[in-house]
Amino acid sequence: MRATGARYSPRYFTDKLENVMANLNIVSICGSLRKGSFNAMVQRLLPSLAPDGMTIKPAPSFADFPLYNADIQNSTGFPAPVNTLADAIRAADGVIFCSPEYNFSIPGGLKNAIDWVSRLQNQPFAGKPVALQSVSPGPVGGARVQYDLRRAMMFLDAFTLNKPEIFIGSCASKFDEKTGELKDEATLGFLKQQLTAFASLIARVAPKS
Amino acid sequence: MVSQQLDVLVICGSLRKGSYNAALARTLPSLAPAGMKLRAAASFERFPIYNFDIQNATGFPAEVVAWADGIRSADGLIIVSPEYNWSIPGGLKNAIDWVSRMKDQPFKDKPVALQSAAGGILGGSRMQYHLRQSLTSVDAILFGRPEVIVTFAAQKFDERTLELKDQTAIDMIKLQLAGFEKFIRRVSAKG
Repeated sequence: MRATGARYSPRYFTDKLENVMANLNIVSICGSLRKGSFNAMVQRLLPSLAPDGMTIKPAPSFADFPLYNADIQNSTGFPAPVNTLADAIRAADGVIFCSPEYNFSIPGGLKNAIDWVSRLQNQPFAGKPVALQSVSPGPVGGARVQYDLRRAMMFLDAFTLNKPEIFIGSCASKFDEKTGELKDEATLGFLKQQLTAFASLIARVAPKS
Repeated sequence: MVSQQLDVLVICGSLRKGSYNAALARTLPSLAPAGMKLRAAASFERFPIYNFDIQNATGFPAEVVAWADGIRSADGLIIVSPEYNWSIPGGLKNAIDWVSRMKDQPFKDKPVALQSAAGGILGGSRMQYHLRQSLTSVDAILFGRPEVIVTFAAQKFDERTLELKDQTAIDMIKLQLAGFEKFIRRVSAKG
């Protein structure tokens, strides 16, 4: 686990947080479809680590999306599961990605989901606060998937949280694979810090009324 | 050991019928040197979204196996793809993810050249650099230069026939294909 900027303090811009943080609805998107996925374990843990006022629910699945093809979009419109995911993203105050790294980059299935919703009018990631997390068995902890996701999110005009970054490497030693319990105290602490920082980012970038 | 005439497989990253990249891929056989024969890869359109549980329960889907076999049997690959959201199209990445899990991983030591066409000024170059990153992970042998980056595609293909009519692009493609032939012969296992 490395968390650059671990000493970063969310208090830096928390002046007017109270109102915005009263009721934050976040959706989490897992980049792996595997039942025993370590990233899905983290995704399931997040609600218990969220600051007061923040609710985190899993987003609808992209497992049944066809592979993106503009001809499908033009002939029969956006498939129903694409609209369902897009609606969930639009309705949320923020999105958290928990994703493995496949072949030094974004899992194709997750990228396919992003490609589909990117073509919608009222593009759901526009102006949306986004936070990134990744778990992997290796030492790098999925850093490359995160930087590629950052680029795609930048193109889509999301507000991606800078720090703290969450790279959970060498995951086999940190999780109880049967129960999905994260046993590493330091990692739990970093996740809590990130969620608090995410609340601050959401407050900061929320449209001013 | 490579055959006298190289057998090169062309993979298109877009599934759209009117795709500029598909049009570019169709142009290649007429621009290839005599020592290289090009054929189109099977489509990855029917691949499910990668899920390790599928692989474990029912094995690799037949379409994935066929696609991998096509890659294994080729002397080299040319991937022609659009850029989606500053990166690799999810469908193409999903295809790479599937075959990357196979024993006798098909991209290993395979010479690969890249091409892209796009409507804007960068011509899909960001997709190409991300593909280089992922293809490094699967141990492909990446061809360097010249790069084929067809910018402002709408002006360079015939609106109706989708024929590539830009001479600069055509010359660059010829150069790349000629260079790629030499590259394949150089890096292929000596038999």
